Amino acid sequence: MKEAGVKRVEQGVTRPAPVAVELDGAPVMAHPGETVAVAVLSTAPRFRDDRSGQARGMFCNMGTCSECTVWVARGDAPWRRLRGCLVPVEPGLRIRTERPEA
Amino acid sequence: MSMPTTTHCDILIVGGGLVGCATAWHLSRLGFKVLLAERGHLNSGASGQNAGSLHFQIERRFLEQGEKAAADGARIVSLNRLAIEEWKGIENMLGRPLDVAMHGGLMVAETEAEMDLLAFKVARENELGLQTRVLSGTQLHHKASALSPNLAGAAWLEDEGHANPRTLVDAFADGARGQGAVVQTGTALAGLSMQRDRTYRATLHGPDGEITVNTPRVLLAAGHWVPRLAGLLGLNVPLYPAPLMMSVTDRTEPVLPFLIQHVGRRLSMKQTEDGNLLIGGGWPSRLAKRADGTPDLDRPAIVEPANLRANLDVGARVMPGLAERSLLRTWTGTTCISADQLPIVGEVAAAPGLFVAAGGSLFTLGPVLARLLARTIAEGAAPEELTMFTPRRFAHLDAFAVLP
Repeated sequence: MKEAGVKRVEQGVTRPAPVAVELDGAPVMAHPGETVAVAVLSTAPRFRDDRSGQARGMFCNMGTCSECTVWVARGDAPWRRLRGCLVPVEPGLRIRTERPEA
Repeated sequence: MSMPTTTHCDILIVGGGLVGCATAWHLSRLGFKVLLAERGHLNSGASGQNAGSLHFQIERRFLEQGEKAAADGARIVSLNRLAIEEWKGIENMLGRPLDVAMHGGLMVAETEAEMDLLAFKVARENELGLQTRVLSGTQLHHKASALSPNLAGAAWLEDEGHANPRTLVDAFADGARGQGAVVQTGTALAGLSMQRDRTYRATLHGPDGEITVNTPRVLLAAGHWVPRLAGLLGLNVPLYPAPLMMSVTDRTEPVLPFLIQHVGRRLSMKQTEDGNLLIGGGWPSRLAKRADGTPDLDRPAIVEPANLRANLDVGARVMPGLAERSLLRTWTGTTCISADQLPIVGEVAAAPGLFVAAGGSLFTLGPVLARLLARTIAEGAAPEELTMFTPRRFAHLDAFAVLP
């Protein structure tokens, strides 16, 4: 079953035009000012599976719990493990929830 | 649950950590009416802050203090052997998974001098019936390829490992409650006195106000706060705070099935079931201070950056892959050491009915010490295995106590 993403509040909110980032190889739209964690959440409330196979989301959204850690690459720069809640989206940013091939 | 303002129990246990909750489990199982009071929440002190090592080899902290201390450390081996059996059965006993992994432990050496120390230690352990053995550098690399090829060797003990300090205390507390124990959190011991009939009257401050408890027995199981609580009776327990640091990295694929320690440097390292690497080994943090400059034991200790760097450096030297990991966080926790480095567990000579249990290494030793302590309390006499830990060895410190 495909998981539903977390919905943005729409009523009474205006956002800048979205940009495209790449999440696990697929394009995802996110608004400037949002974080990588938001881009992930918009597709599914899941950052990884825990050891029992259950989907596991983020917890604190303020850089403390590290549950939103993902791999991020800007352009041709090498992949880095970063906390998704602390990294703003930018056009063309590449994100992986699984460890990328070296 | 709301408690009456005056209550009676067979034993008041002060401290909702591993020792307190495990002793509550054993005594409630034996039919004792147990009241456990925890000032904060369960497992909030050293029981939940330690890195979960199950270490049964003689500890480095004994070896670095010369031959006398090494001999003292050797005396703990008989208890370690009981602890091994205790941990093997603990998940069955408590009926839930506790991430107990006993796949073996390696105490590594980097130099020939450290190898000599390991050989001395292993010979002593073998005499005492602990099946450690020395591995050469080649044998070590064969057993644990993630470790540095530069290591000189290690002492191997197949029963060592680790468990999850976050889940164990809840398991004991839930079980104790199921057996009828009353476990009160947010409840501090505010007063304690001995009555003329040698029973105790305790004043507890809890969420519903003040409670008076009349009881023939009190167990102080509050880690480094035990001396303060014993002070309510004018008694002296020589335990001193030892603020430490622990660190955790991000998750990675399984690389380290063993507990790693170092005979010459402070290090413990293991990989959790989730894949994170946990690093500790006794590097000090700094106690917080009050405005007047005296130690503040009621606030968390503070990370000491130079010691954190040194801790991670030795970890990466022993296991080079550690340098590739991301550090998620470092935290502090305060354990305690006694005047002779051995835990203090048993009845206080000057105050019949008053028991204490604290003193370091009490994650590894807590479950078995709680079992032995519960036997002491239930049978009115300490089993032989506890004699070396008796508070009576410090009875001279209470020579000037005034009790009814």
